[in-house]
Amino acid sequence: MKIKNRVASLLRPNQVAHAHCDIPCGIYHPHIAQQGAESVERMCVLIGELGSPSDSAGHASLSRYVAEKEKAAELVKHEVRILWGDYFKPPHLEMFPDLHTKAWTIMKLAGTARGSVKIDDAKALRAAVDEFADMFWKTKA
Amino acid sequence: MLILPAAIALVRLLRSRYYRVEVAGDSMRPTLYPGDFLILRRGAPASGDAAAGAIVALHDATGRLILKRVIGLPGESLRVGTAVLINRRPLREPYAQGETPQAQFRGANQLAPDEYFLIGDNREASTDSRDFGAVTRARLEGAAVFRYWPPGRLGRLASPGRVLGAVPPDPELPLGMIPPRPTA
Repeated sequence: MKIKNRVASLLRPNQVAHAHCDIPCGIYHPHIAQQGAESVERMCVLIGELGSPSDSAGHASLSRYVAEKEKAAELVKHEVRILWGDYFKPPHLEMFPDLHTKAWTIMKLAGTARGSVKIDDAKALRAAVDEFADMFWKTKA
Repeated sequence: MLILPAAIALVRLLRSRYYRVEVAGDSMRPTLYPGDFLILRRGAPASGDAAAGAIVALHDATGRLILKRVIGLPGESLRVGTAVLINRRPLREPYAQGETPQAQFRGANQLAPDEYFLIGDNREASTDSRDFGAVTRARLEGAAVFRYWPPGRLGRLASPGRVLGAVPPDPELPLGMIPPRPTA
């Protein structure tokens, strides 16, 4: 078995091709993106309340909040990309001609929110994601 | 003395025409499994009927390299429901497992002169043209030709060819439905 694993590691390609399924297949939901945007906003509030930490406990909290904010903003981008790339189809684009712009705006706002601790930046991201979610639900109406 | 340069030239030639990928995910079961190592020929598969059934690689909207099977060819009329109908004839698919979930049913798809319709073999667990629509030929970056790992499944990944059934007698059948068998 060890020999087989060694041979496999020697022969392993350096590129992965995904026979993928965005589980659960055919079932899409904007909730995770909205939750991510809400987390970004919450982390900005916590960072603001923390102020400038003077001890190691405060520094640890700040690091944790920043890391969580980065992760949540990236989650927003991931989830919105799935809805935009896989769920929305040409008829939906007729309903929402600005769909691509909205998705692109979210990518930009999420990028800004990653590097910012301003609550207004987080609120702008949340509003854009909520608007995107509304578009999603209107296609289900 | 000439052996080394010749070997290098051969490797370069092969790399310019072929590349290798490792399969991740389950949407091509039962044909491909996670951890399979494949050799792909660069570029789109041969045009015409030869492309039908080929396993192709392309990048999706999120930038991932994905693998799916060519089901619909340019210019064809295609319906995806319980079964796949091509120009109203049911496609026989020994390589596929499961049925298209209700949420992924698609009506008639009239493919443009350079469009292909791609579906994963694992019909109940694949994100493919049923979700993101048909793709243009220019997006097809490679065609799987050989699986070289694991040794137990080593072999060519040739297109299985295309077998179409007869046109159903009732042209008004709903999406992709094959007529029920007559009961005794």
